[in-house]
Amino acid sequence: MRFTRYLAFLNKPYLLLLGYIFLSVVLMNFSDTASLRGVRWALLQILNVVDSFKTEFAYRKNLEAENERLKKENFYLHITNQRMREMVLENARLRELLNLKSEHSYEFIAARVIAESAEKGINSRLLNVGEQDGVKENMAVVNAEGLVGKIIGVSAHQSIVQVLTDLNCRVGARLEKSREKGIVGWGGDPWLDLEYIPKNIRVEPGELVITSGLSEIYPEGLKIGVVTDFSETDYDMFMSVRLKPAVNFNALEEVFVIKTEIPEKITLE
Amino acid sequence: MNKSHLRYLLVFLAALIVQSTVVKYLEIVHWRPDLLLIILVMYAVQYGRKLGSTAGFLVGVSSDLISGGLLGLGALSKTITGFIAGGVSRLFQERSQFIFTLFLGGLIHDLIYFYINTLGKEVAWRVIWFVHIIPNLFYTAIVGMVIYYFAGRWLKADD
Repeated sequence: MRFTRYLAFLNKPYLLLLGYIFLSVVLMNFSDTASLRGVRWALLQILNVVDSFKTEFAYRKNLEAENERLKKENFYLHITNQRMREMVLENARLRELLNLKSEHSYEFIAARVIAESAEKGINSRLLNVGEQDGVKENMAVVNAEGLVGKIIGVSAHQSIVQVLTDLNCRVGARLEKSREKGIVGWGGDPWLDLEYIPKNIRVEPGELVITSGLSEIYPEGLKIGVVTDFSETDYDMFMSVRLKPAVNFNALEEVFVIKTEIPEKITLE
Repeated sequence: MNKSHLRYLLVFLAALIVQSTVVKYLEIVHWRPDLLLIILVMYAVQYGRKLGSTAGFLVGVSSDLISGGLLGLGALSKTITGFIAGGVSRLFQERSQFIFTLFLGGLIHDLIYFYINTLGKEVAWRVIWFVHIIPNLFYTAIVGMVIYYFAGRWLKADD
C-alpha cells in the first residue's frame, strides 16, 4: 500500500514529465559509461542484420555494372600506379639525398558505411569494422577524397565515426601555402569554417587546407577542404574562412581507418 | 497492453531501424523526414500527455543509443515533445489535429535539440532555422500526412 503511494506521481503528468527530464539529464552525465556502451552495441547489432540484407540485395543488383566499371578503373589505375612507382622511387632517391626519413607509413583498415545517425545535428556513420579488426577510439578515418572524421565508439565488429560535419567535431588544420594553423569546424552551414587565421595572412580561394598533425588523432597532411571564400571585420582579430569539404559526406560508402597508436586518454594538461 | 499499444511498439521499432538505414535514400538536398517524431506525435495525440511523454523518453533513449551522440539529448527533446503533443492536440479540430500537432511538436523538438546540442558553440541560428529546422519540418509533415492517411486508422484501432 505504501509502495503504491510512492508511485502515485505516475498519475500526475507534470511530475512524470519532470521525472523523465531528470532521467534525461542524468543520462547526459553518464553518456559514456561502459555499461551504457554495452546496451548501445546490442542495439547496433539489429541495424547490422538489417543492413546485411539490404547491402546483399544492392550488391547483387549492381554487380555486373560494377564489374565493368572496375575493369576500366583497374586499367587506369594500373597505368597510374606505374607512374606513381616511378615517382616514389625518384622521391626515395631524393629523400636519401636530403637525409630525410619517410614519416608517414600508415596501415589502413578498409571499412564500409552501414548506417547513419538517426538524429539531426549529430553526424555520425556506423562502420562494419570494430575492435577485432584493430579499430580503436580516436583513430582518423579517410577516403580517397580526404579526411572523413574520427572514431568515437568501438564494439567488437562495428564502430562509429564522427564526421567533420558534426557540430562537435573540431580538427587542427593548416593552410597549405602559408602553413598558418587554425581549427576547422562546422556551424550548421553547407560549408566548413576555418577559424583563428590572423587577418595579416594571405589566403587565396582554391588554396588547400590540410590537417596540421599537431593533434595525436589526425596525421599531418590529410586533405580537409578547399578555401572558397573569406571575409574579415574591423573588430575581429581573425578572418572568417569558408571551406568546401574535400569529402562528399552524403555519398560516403567505403572508407579507411588509419591504424595509428592512440593514447588511451588524451588530456590537454 | 491492448493491440493498439502493441502495434505502436512494433511501428516504433521499425521506424527506429528504417530511420537509421533507409531514410537516407529519401534525402532531398540534406533534408530528411523524422519518422520517429511522426509516430511519437500520432501516439501522443491518441493517448495524451502521460503516455506521450513516456513514449517520447523511451524512443529518444533508443534513438540516442543508435546515433552515438550524447545519450539523453534525444530523450529530453522527445519527452517534452510527447508531453506537449499529448496536451495541445485537444486544442485543434479533429480533422487537422494531427498535422497541427506534428508541426508544433516538430518545432519544439528541433528547437530543444539544436539549442542543447549547440550550447557553448558559435553557430549560425539563421542557417539552422532556414536550412535545417523549417525545411525538415515541412518534409516531415508531408511524410507524416502520408503515414497518417495509410496507417493512422490501423494504429488507432483498439480491437
